[in-house]
Amino acid sequence: MENQLLLQVENLDSGYGFLQVLWNVSLSVAKGEYVCLVGPNGAGKSTFLKSVAGLVSPMAGRIDFSGNSISRLPGDKICRMGISYISEELNLFAGMTVQENLAMGAFTINDKRKIVENQDFVFELFPALKERRRQLAGTMSGGERKMLAIGRGLMSTPSLLLVDEPSLGLAPQTTAAVFRALDTLKQKEVTILLVEQNVTKTLQVTERGYVLEKGKIVLAGASTDLIQNEHVRKAYLGI
Amino acid sequence: MFMAIANSNTLNLERVLTTLKSPAGITISASIIAAVLGAIDNGFYVIVNAIVTGGMWALVAMGLALVFGVMNVVSFVHGEFFMIGGLTAYFTFTPFSDYLMGNPNPLFEAVLPILAMVASVAAGVVVGILCELIVFRPLRNRTREQWVMNSFVITLGLSTFIVNSSQFILGTDFRGIVSYWNYPTLSFFDVYVSFDRFFVFILAMLILSAFWLFMRSSKFGRAIRAVSQDETGARMVGININGIQTLTLALSSALAALAGACLLFMYPAYPTVGLGPLYNSWFIVILAGMGNVAGAAVGAFIVALLQVLTTVYFGEGWEYTVPAACIILVLIIRPSGIFGSEVRGILNQ
Amino acid sequence: MANVQKIDNFNGFQKTLDAVCLTPLGFFGLALLAVLPFIPPFNQEYLIRWMVVGLFMAAQAVAFDFTGGYINIVNFGFAAFVGLGAYTSGILAARLGLSPWFGMFVGVLPAALVGFLTGVLTLRLRGIFAAVMAWFISLAFWGLATKLVFLTEGPLGLNCPTLLQTSSNLPYFYIIFAMFMVTYIVLRRIVRSHMGLAFKAIGQNMEAARTSGINPTRYRIINFTLSCAFAGWLGGFYAHYYGILMPDVMHTAKTIEVLVVVYIGGRASLWGGAFAAIPFVFAMEMVRSVFSQYPGLNLIFYGLFLILIMIYYPGGAAQLYQSLIERLKNPFFLRLVNGVISAPAQKKIQASGLS
Ligand SMILES: Nc1ncnc2c1ncn2[C@@H]1O[C@H](COP(=O)(O)OP(=O)(O)OP(=O)(O)O)[C@@H](O)[C@H]1O
Ligand SMILES: [Mg+2]
Repeated sequence: MENQLLLQVENLDSGYGFLQVLWNVSLSVAKGEYVCLVGPNGAGKSTFLKSVAGLVSPMAGRIDFSGNSISRLPGDKICRMGISYISEELNLFAGMTVQENLAMGAFTINDKRKIVENQDFVFELFPALKERRRQLAGTMSGGERKMLAIGRGLMSTPSLLLVDEPSLGLAPQTTAAVFRALDTLKQKEVTILLVEQNVTKTLQVTERGYVLEKGKIVLAGASTDLIQNEHVRKAYLGI
Repeated sequence: MFMAIANSNTLNLERVLTTLKSPAGITISASIIAAVLGAIDNGFYVIVNAIVTGGMWALVAMGLALVFGVMNVVSFVHGEFFMIGGLTAYFTFTPFSDYLMGNPNPLFEAVLPILAMVASVAAGVVVGILCELIVFRPLRNRTREQWVMNSFVITLGLSTFIVNSSQFILGTDFRGIVSYWNYPTLSFFDVYVSFDRFFVFILAMLILSAFWLFMRSSKFGRAIRAVSQDETGARMVGININGIQTLTLALSSALAALAGACLLFMYPAYPTVGLGPLYNSWFIVILAGMGNVAGAAVGAFIVALLQVLTTVYFGEGWEYTVPAACIILVLIIRPSGIFGSEVRGILNQ
Repeated sequence: MANVQKIDNFNGFQKTLDAVCLTPLGFFGLALLAVLPFIPPFNQEYLIRWMVVGLFMAAQAVAFDFTGGYINIVNFGFAAFVGLGAYTSGILAARLGLSPWFGMFVGVLPAALVGFLTGVLTLRLRGIFAAVMAWFISLAFWGLATKLVFLTEGPLGLNCPTLLQTSSNLPYFYIIFAMFMVTYIVLRRIVRSHMGLAFKAIGQNMEAARTSGINPTRYRIINFTLSCAFAGWLGGFYAHYYGILMPDVMHTAKTIEVLVVVYIGGRASLWGGAFAAIPFVFAMEMVRSVFSQYPGLNLIFYGLFLILIMIYYPGGAAQLYQSLIERLKNPFFLRLVNGVISAPAQKKIQASGLS
């Protein structure tokens, strides 16, 4: 693996107002890597992704993206730099159609051909979306909305994808489809930082992982090692 | 809402019936019947009047709906943009118009009113941007807690400030014109419509269509809608929220200013002239559903009709009381308006 | 609440202050105000008149802040409720010869009733609906007052009998002083009670309040109705002090005046607006008389104040006062500003060995 760091977070403290959620979190993702962040509910995983995506402003620490500090930038600038965040809440535009949502995803791209190309790619990844091109996002099922959110996140040709719990609330079949899509992206050299509840599955597909508990990183390593780890097996795999 | 209109081109009877039975359908049909009855009783001018003023109120109310949808600001200062538009048009138009008295020039006479309108649009844009930069942005940067109430109170301050500054600088004189163009009156059926009114109506229709296209298919129009639907989502796809909010306020104040310029021959500009348009556009926005921009365009004609009929049947001086009473009824029966509110979470909290 | 346990230790003066919800400083301030009309230069008739206007404003500010500051709903039709009370009492007195003293209390009924109905209809929705609805209601009543000439004389003005047969302002000063005190004490005692806690919880976070078992709509309606009732009562004073009643008493501009005073004084304090009212009225009257060739100049300041306060100092004078007294060290002053109400202050005072 070519060890060029794409995302490097050092000693990050973050939270909401007076409430600190993350304590001294350090994490890095190299170009082309597929990394996961797991942890119990309320550990601060989403807060971490939001801090990177510029939706929550960090209290201290550094966040570097391809060598530039982004910890003080607003969310839209960070998106323009090539980070796509797919949130737990999805944040779709409920009053717009699938196609319009995708078009909004490509807001930062001016090249029309590139937009069409990206859209074709998304439709290839999720054929279901193509059928429902004209449906309002607000009227779609949970699974479809999730696919749309991922699709929208891909429309800006991101170099780093932050995905928050893509399998939450999905049937096994849809979950599998989502993981397949992430695999395809991985094949296409998209760097992915994945947050998941489904620890077994996640550690099987990713290359490296971090374990976040109560706002602190307690374990880090190759996914194959983490699967064997005593603590992980007890706490997350129920073995 | 925009989509709902686009999707309904596959007409069938069942669909028509459900549409008719919806609150929007009932209200619209009732208005049409009222308009027809009013016209039979009092002549066709009832309908013409309602349509001409309705077009302009649509511009004002759409701006108000937009500001609420995108910025979450319940604006009390919107009427002042109307006043600024009227004043700008007056001060652009009258000097040249006086000059033209001595030196007639048909071409210049024809374009001068349009120049005045363009000037007031420009003034609206400038004032809108200033309000955003000097007032709303600092407030937003300080805190977003209790935003709706706080920003509402701040628009009260702005309105008081603008109205009285205008009075301080220009006094309380009425600054109006008799007409923009001295062209002969047009007649449709047996109703006489001055060229000004006719022009103003055509202009309103053109701007409504342009606005609709802008919101539907331009990049920034879509971005505006995106921000009103999900602000975080908009930020996530790279939309600069501050920029969109500035654009929104500039757009809405420009629309109100344009209306002020266009209606100068009916509403001479003076410091508190904005109150009437403000009341009207609030009636419209509540009737249509808060933040529903397309609904506001339709609601404008209903409220205009209501007002024309009020003046006919109740006499002068009731034109705000009766609509206010009707809108209170709407608020009671259907707080989200007849077309439904597009802004999420309006009903809870 | 510390004062509940400690109340036995209070002496008579402290007990009285506690009952009327005043700090010693507040008490001395009010005592000074009460004798002010006898102290030159304030013993001039026109200055007493300003003070009457100021106290009327202060009482309105307290009633307004009771909703605006606590349940966080701006009653944007406040003036209409004042006007409802005023017109009811005025019409009863002028047309039926009812005593104004009695009519003032009758005026409470329509104001409270309309307030209650407004509340029932809108307070289950987001706060802004109540604000907008109250505004429309004020528009409607303003229109009615203008047009129902047979009842109200319209813009010409309704001649109402005054409370007293005197041209002196001094008796009115004490009447409105008393009315202000009643408004303040009643509303302050409510705010201090269990119900007041619920109000505050609702104003800060409605959802959280709901989950902790408070029925927000009910409390909001109680609060709104009470505030409107006091507005109506104060309206009665207005009618029988000025002796002439015009529809503009219900105009939105009047609501904005009260609102500006409340925000300058500091929201959610009750006393803030009352404190700001008299200096505010004096300042505005002065601007008005010095720059009499520029009518409306004082209103430019209204607007400007409101904008600046909202952006830069949302807590108003009350916040300033709070931050000042937190720095106080001298036990005498501590005692003066804290009185018997605050528990931390008691601790500080005890620690300083004064008590
Ligand atoms: N907007 C917010 N304001 C205040 N506190 C918040 C906010 N969002 C999250 N928190 C708190 O921060 C902590 C971490 O939340 P976060 O959403 O990051 O957890 P998570 O690891 O993503 O959990 P889950 O697996 O349930 O999604 C929680 O205790 C939560 O209550
Ligand atoms: Mg989460």
